[in-house]
Amino acid sequence: MHDSAIEIRGLTKAYHRFQLGPLDLTVPRGAIYALIGPNGAGKTTALDLILGLGRNDAGEIRVFGLDHQRDGVAIKRRVGYVGPELNFECWGTVGRTLRFVRGFYPDWDDAYCAELMHRLALAPGEAIAPLSFGAKTKLSLLLALSHRPELLILDEPTTGLDAVSKQQVFAELLKTVEAGDRTVLISSHALTDLERFADHVALIKAGQLLLHGRMDAVVERFRLAEFFMAQGQDLPARSGLTVLRQDGNRWQAVLDQAQDVPGWLQSRGVQQLTLTPMTLEDLFVALVREKEAA
Amino acid sequence: MLGPISPAAPGSLYQQIVDGLKREISEGRVTAGAPLPSFRVLAEDLLVSVITVKRAYEELEREGIIYRRQGLGTFVADHGLDRSRTAKLNTARDLIRQAAREAAEAGLTPSETLALARQLIQGT
Repeated sequence: MHDSAIEIRGLTKAYHRFQLGPLDLTVPRGAIYALIGPNGAGKTTALDLILGLGRNDAGEIRVFGLDHQRDGVAIKRRVGYVGPELNFECWGTVGRTLRFVRGFYPDWDDAYCAELMHRLALAPGEAIAPLSFGAKTKLSLLLALSHRPELLILDEPTTGLDAVSKQQVFAELLKTVEAGDRTVLISSHALTDLERFADHVALIKAGQLLLHGRMDAVVERFRLAEFFMAQGQDLPARSGLTVLRQDGNRWQAVLDQAQDVPGWLQSRGVQQLTLTPMTLEDLFVALVREKEAA
Repeated sequence: MLGPISPAAPGSLYQQIVDGLKREISEGRVTAGAPLPSFRVLAEDLLVSVITVKRAYEELEREGIIYRRQGLGTFVADHGLDRSRTAKLNTARDLIRQAAREAAEAGLTPSETLALARQLIQGT
């Protein structure tokens, strides 16, 4: 059995004004993997390419060791997808939607589907049109999970959901990975939730991977640094230190603890250095801004 | 089986799980030899990532409070109670030291601080 659910090597895809990659990314099995980045970073492009929606210019995508295009059908049987578009109206009712989608999946599990339906408070007889946005998202999750996919891919599933529905979705994702053999890849802007629920994280910006790793390791690696330096003095730019603001002799910056930045700062006469832990959201804002300024 | 875990509470989520389990053990709600839920089940229960629980279990294992048996699960160690109490005692010691420092900074003499402590303990 492959240790990784997805392996991406040298993936590129260019559009008129945007290029994704070259991107290398490994999604390990049995975990929740968060793909984050500002709007237009290339998250949806990457997810779509994994699912074989569109053709990559170069590079390789392997899902469970299979080639994403040559073995497209075999992969789709083992993958569930929840996308940002929730157009189920044409099926009329929840039950008819289920019957249609069911036909594509030999592994569809009716008992599991019924159990999920109950948990997500949906009923086969319900009409689609009057369903709330949250209920439509849950229907989409139900359709994606009922064939017990080994890999679940979600593209911004919680945008616009209220706090209760959002928590239900995340609880369902935790249940999905509970047995340890199923994998969830999720792109979302719900950074506070992701910090709590996801095991791994990758941050992409302008088609490039800025940062990736275990969620706890990534979050703990960076600190918000505050320090003082004699007026008129300047700090040369260096890696591992992102200056956020300077007000007189007072500086604020994001500091990468994987590098010896404190020693370097001290050697430059910096005083009263304090380091404060950051949330994923703090880190996101700081790193995304920096690259914009650069 | 564990108290609530919240980003609004002090300490990281994994530290809250470590402290919560120590509390359960030191207060006798979980006894030596008792099985603990798998980290995936506990993750689902507490609504936190699997890695967060795994890390908490690893720390408790390092401290000798719990142990893992391949294929069987995770259990509270025989010394779990003592170790949890020792950990609690160390925390209490640190907090008392901190309280003494704060009181001194507020201008209290040592005997005034002690009187205050006595009054607060009897009040609870």
